[in-house]
Amino acid sequence: MITKLPIILAAMFGCCLAATQPAQDTRVLPEGFVDAAQRSTHTNNWAVLVDASRFWFNYRHVANVLSIYRSVKRLGIPDSQIILMIADDMACNARNPRPGQVYNNANQHINVYGDDVEVDYRGYEVTVENFVRLLTGRTQNGTARSKKLLSDAGSNVLIYLTGHGGDGFLKFQDSEEITSQELADGIQQMWEKKRYNELFFMVDTCQAASLYEKFTSPNVLAVASSLVGEDSLSHHVDPSIGVYMIDRYTYYALEFLEKVQPFSKRTIGEFLQVCPKRVCISTVGVRKDLYRRDPHKVPITDFFGAIRPTRVSTDRINVTLANEDDFITTDELVVMKPFKIVIEPQFPTEFFK
Amino acid sequence: MGQPGCPTAGPRPRPCGIALFLLALIPLTVASSAKSPLGRDDERFDEELVVRPLSGDHVNTYFQFTTRWHFGHKDNLYHTQLTPRVIAELLQQFDVKELHIGLTQGLWRYETWGYPIVEATSGAEMWAWFSGDNNLTDSEVNSQWSQLANVFSGVLCASLNFVDKTNSISPRHLLRPQFMPAANRKNFVRYSALPREIVCTENLTPWKKLLPCGSASGFASLLNSGHVHNTKYHSLGLKVRTLCEDNSEDNCIVELTQTANLVYDLRLFEQSSSSSSNGDFSLRRLFGMGLNGYCELAESSKMYVQRNEQGERYQLVPPPSPENEEVRSTRGGHTAIYGVYDMHEQFKDHGERLFNVAWLAPKSENRRRNMVKPTPPPLTVHRYLLGHGQERGRIATEITNSHYDALPILVQEVIPWYVHGYLHTLSVRKKPQRVNEYGRQRIPFKLLHYKPGKQRELPSHLEIGFLLPGQTSALITIDVDYLLLKWLEYPPDANHGHYIGSALVSSQLPMGRNYTALPVEGYLFRDSFNATRPSYVLSLHTEALIVSLPTPDFSMPYNVICLACTVVALAFGPIHSVATKMIIVGKPTTTTPKNFIKKLLNKVFRRGGQPAAEGAGKGAGTGAGDGEESREGAAGDAPPGESELPGTGHLDDQPLLEDLEEND
Repeated sequence: MITKLPIILAAMFGCCLAATQPAQDTRVLPEGFVDAAQRSTHTNNWAVLVDASRFWFNYRHVANVLSIYRSVKRLGIPDSQIILMIADDMACNARNPRPGQVYNNANQHINVYGDDVEVDYRGYEVTVENFVRLLTGRTQNGTARSKKLLSDAGSNVLIYLTGHGGDGFLKFQDSEEITSQELADGIQQMWEKKRYNELFFMVDTCQAASLYEKFTSPNVLAVASSLVGEDSLSHHVDPSIGVYMIDRYTYYALEFLEKVQPFSKRTIGEFLQVCPKRVCISTVGVRKDLYRRDPHKVPITDFFGAIRPTRVSTDRINVTLANEDDFITTDELVVMKPFKIVIEPQFPTEFFK
Repeated sequence: MGQPGCPTAGPRPRPCGIALFLLALIPLTVASSAKSPLGRDDERFDEELVVRPLSGDHVNTYFQFTTRWHFGHKDNLYHTQLTPRVIAELLQQFDVKELHIGLTQGLWRYETWGYPIVEATSGAEMWAWFSGDNNLTDSEVNSQWSQLANVFSGVLCASLNFVDKTNSISPRHLLRPQFMPAANRKNFVRYSALPREIVCTENLTPWKKLLPCGSASGFASLLNSGHVHNTKYHSLGLKVRTLCEDNSEDNCIVELTQTANLVYDLRLFEQSSSSSSNGDFSLRRLFGMGLNGYCELAESSKMYVQRNEQGERYQLVPPPSPENEEVRSTRGGHTAIYGVYDMHEQFKDHGERLFNVAWLAPKSENRRRNMVKPTPPPLTVHRYLLGHGQERGRIATEITNSHYDALPILVQEVIPWYVHGYLHTLSVRKKPQRVNEYGRQRIPFKLLHYKPGKQRELPSHLEIGFLLPGQTSALITIDVDYLLLKWLEYPPDANHGHYIGSALVSSQLPMGRNYTALPVEGYLFRDSFNATRPSYVLSLHTEALIVSLPTPDFSMPYNVICLACTVVALAFGPIHSVATKMIIVGKPTTTTPKNFIKKLLNKVFRRGGQPAAEGAGKGAGTGAGDGEESREGAAGDAPPGESELPGTGHLDDQPLLEDLEEND
């Protein structure tokens, strides 16, 4: 016992040394940022954004999911790493008086649809099966690359779900539902397959907190727009289109995210308090017990942006150059011989003689 | 320079040196290849914009972006420049030789707008030709076809991954390859249409990303989602074809043609703007902004503005380029005049500015009367559903030939598996154009190809050919049954109905009136100028149809359950009581008062005092038994369980009814 103690002490001391060592390398950066960034352990960011409800009167759910899409895209996650699932077409819906545009506000402040949206799963493709396949990486053979979640053990994944939910389930397209158990199993499978480093689970639906209750996987931070037994409410109606524009929780979340810049020091902790009960009417539920970091020290860009922790090195680094064969050989530029193009007759006249 | 980056005193010093040498070499070679005409001839990109005013205050704007790469041998496909990499990879991965994809919203009105430059049907449409050596089998092509659809579902953000064997056919006669099939190679074709597919910004964005300049500059910068989707008709097209010399695979050209065909309704613009603009329009009004320049990678960047027919009445500001101001194209006896704006000229000596062209209509009050009446196209098609109910119907396709001479017609129908067609009911009847009713006169088939469908597996595929006499309409009808789907086969919005894709009609016109399509060997819009040919192959699409299949109504089983339960309950009570109770004849205990008022009071108090639970607990069984015992003839006003009189069979129902009333 007595002989072991100094060793343990030494080990602890060593740990402390190791922890303080990298901080010295990056003194030039603002200290707060460095503090937080050093704790970030991810190398890339992915976002899975799902609107699970169909039909025009669910316009608000599409506005919800597009609000988050707009924010993550603006903060730097490229379209190739955002999987956007939208169950119905609102922008080009015949009932939309402003084709190609979806707003979050009756005053048309922000066109959340934008000019360059890329929807990966749309319409009938938005099913529970496809969603679970996407999360667990068990997509069918031949699925396009843009429809796959190609995350790895270094990925911070943001999952956002919106739609009509109940205690323990979320409806997809009014025809099927995903249960909280299925969701928890899917995330557990993601963890086992090393498909995420940290996962931020956001859900805006009625009784949303019931969806994260069954989670057991580590490194998951979950936030829900309402507790079990509560309804999530919509924000306001636009009389010109006759439907509700957006849900309360996402409305305030977007309001917060609009103020975030890629290098801002806002934290996830602040984001979790974005919609107090006085404005949301429902109580925002947070589940932190699976998450090892303090949300108040996690920059919001860990999930909503694509800022990687970088370390400036002044040391010499060895880089192995590629083999000669890999270079493009330019001496093969041969002049193409022009030829006469012959094309088969485009109409089978032989039948009409 | 570069020494710190090199591995110092490593075992392999040579690669570093060679790499440095190559690094120094690459900028030189790139620069020289860009300058030399040889390198440029191999690959070229052209952008074109055609503006054609149509009748009825419509304007057709047609964008065409063409990349043509003479790549030679297949191995060269690994190094792409202007051609998008996905297209080059496509040719390496699959045996695909030719590919067409169309994403369209809206319906092209042939009667008033004439024929479009590229044909498309509402929704998504896709067909491809595969060409391989003799080992290529049909099932391999099927798997390649679905993989191809999956690739483009990702590339274009469309649900093309729904293309599978349940909605794909192999057209036999109508779709011809745009190459010369070789004798030693096997060719396969697959066709599929998804009429339900919507087209929105998410399709336009990736479509623009395939262009060499993206949407940053050139004509593509005009395609902004808000202004594209504000149109009456918009169609995005993508066509890839490979042309090889004499079937040798060593000297080939790949052509990628991206088209965007839009039709604007000027009356909508007038409504939205406060000032009455008298039918004027400009690039800025159509697209929301002027043109910011040309794509620097484009060999040519030209805008063609039609000056005759509907375009005749407009004055152009600024007028077209002074040299080669107008192109006069005579094609098959039909003349079109185009004003040309060369963007390389327009942006030659000006700095930063936006280029805009305005079309000014004459300021006369009755301009609608001044408009040139459109010449109707020689061949028009329509399609509709006949019959009523959700069980069976009839698909009718009407083809009208207003030309004076007979035209050969080919029709291709794809009937989805949930609609069952009957070949023996197929008929083609005709009528002169002026007559309203179709008579019994039939048109004989010149060719008939029918591949019956299979439930949940294959669509029915029908191709017919006949000769349609001049000034005559033909009505093609086929009777169909609608299938009852399984529970899980209904889409989430089954109320919307199910689609039957449009029919494809092809013909060969002897003259070029209204004909604007590119000649098959050409690849730019300007190749259609003065392209007189002996005949012009026309291809048209009919409207798509929606059928409402019999949808199960879940209120029906609910009603059935309620009714059945009631009937069972009504029957169970008497049967149970008859089966289980013994009827004992006994003397009535005379507790009933003789006095009428007392009798009444007694009755009232007994009823009021009866606990509710007793009434509810008295099910059909015991209640009936009690009532039976308590009956005194038909009067039945004695409280139950007091009088014991012999019950008679025919009274069984009545007490039961009384009990039921009490429970309510």
